[in-house]
Amino acid sequence: MVVRIRLARFGNKHQPFYNIVVAQARSARDSKPIEVIGTFNPIPQRPTGLSDEQAITARSYKDIALDRSRAKYWLGVGAQPSDGVWRLLHMAGLIEAKKVPNKMK
Amino acid sequence: MAQRIQNSLLPSLSSSTSTTSSLSRFSNTCTSSSLLPLPQPASRSFSTSGCRQTRLRRTMFNWLEGKGAELKHHVPGELNYLTHTNKPFPLNEQYRSEPILSEALRNEIYDRVIRKKQSVRGVSVEFGVDMRRVGAVVRLVELENRMRDQGKSLALPYARAVHEMVPTTPYVEGDRIRHESINDLPVHRLTDPQIFYPVSESREFNRFDAGRAFSAAPALPHKITSEMKEQPDETIRKITQGLSPIETVGKREDEQQVLLPADARIPHPHMIVNDRNRLTIGKTEPKEVRQRYRERLAQESERDQYRKDRIQQHLERTTQKVEPENSRFEFRFRDVVVSRETTGPTGRGHLAPGRRYGIPSYDRKKGEVKIPTRVDV
Repeated sequence: MVVRIRLARFGNKHQPFYNIVVAQARSARDSKPIEVIGTFNPIPQRPTGLSDEQAITARSYKDIALDRSRAKYWLGVGAQPSDGVWRLLHMAGLIEAKKVPNKMK
Repeated sequence: MAQRIQNSLLPSLSSSTSTTSSLSRFSNTCTSSSLLPLPQPASRSFSTSGCRQTRLRRTMFNWLEGKGAELKHHVPGELNYLTHTNKPFPLNEQYRSEPILSEALRNEIYDRVIRKKQSVRGVSVEFGVDMRRVGAVVRLVELENRMRDQGKSLALPYARAVHEMVPTTPYVEGDRIRHESINDLPVHRLTDPQIFYPVSESREFNRFDAGRAFSAAPALPHKITSEMKEQPDETIRKITQGLSPIETVGKREDEQQVLLPADARIPHPHMIVNDRNRLTIGKTEPKEVRQRYRERLAQESERDQYRKDRIQQHLERTTQKVEPENSRFEFRFRDVVVSRETTGPTGRGHLAPGRRYGIPSYDRKKGEVKIPTRVDV
């Protein structure tokens, strides 16, 4: 069976919050995973402590907590990230971008 | 302090413009009531006689027309309370109406903190205003300035009316201003229980020991306590400036910090030092006392800044910011640690990242308070 690195949804209605988990691929989304290696908050946060000029140009940010060494370990032993987690891990500089087959052809 | 400040910034609200006196009109109609159809109680539904006033009701209207009439319109600058003191409720002797900051004092606080770059701590001591209130004043005046810049309308008549009717703390340049008590000891939960703690007569029991007794920590060796006793100011300074780490007692989940002495837990520990200096050398060398006070304040703010910088640097070191080209957002990756130490033997440790499994979230439970406890600006 495949071990996946994927997101498990927590939070309330209209307030999504995800744990980044390592779990068996066939297990339920919210079941207890093998390990929780981080969190992902998809709701954009406004940066604080900025001057008025900075606040105009500042981008909202999405907050991600990640244990890099655990992520690397699980990737090293063959865990498959889901698409969403793949993008996050790519942004964190842990893996290459996923090659998406061109649907136009 | 119940004194009003004339402020030219706020438009004047004259009390004579207040309109009709609805209550007296009502009382008149009721006394000459035979002309009007009045609602009758169900038990006298066939009665044609008009309403009879109860005694209490009559005395109420007598009061409203006599003594109460002068309270109907407030005299600007005077408290419009029954007692004409700062106690608005005659039957509740304990209640005191606390003064609010006057416009002038409020503006002066903002000026000191923002334009003159004085420390919040120093301004708080100088005007006798709580540090949290100083922070709130700065934020609110900032907000007001922004609203003025944006051309938004301000509720100035309302503000003026409130300032006319409640006691305010005026700002008079050169005067010593005391708005409120600023050095109150916050009640710590550890100090709730009454403890009977036997101490031998030969031993001195001070506030350090009291804190340790409350958190069930073993007493310190004599050598250390005697050193502390010799240099009380230095000991407290080390604690408040974070130079000596706070000791902990208990293991794993039960681990908690040892309660500090009251001298370190009050908002302004440096005031104790200043008082001590004043009592010892204040008569002969008042300049020296002031000099030391300023140095201590500067030291405190420098140390505060250092600690803030350290936290900021740590955050920057452990956070990776990514701004993808095809996204409106920035992604911030914080480093966390997943290990036996953080997850704990049950896997539910609070130091590990992620929401917990198998633990109900009580955030929608009845009575759960969700009021935010801090402000990020």
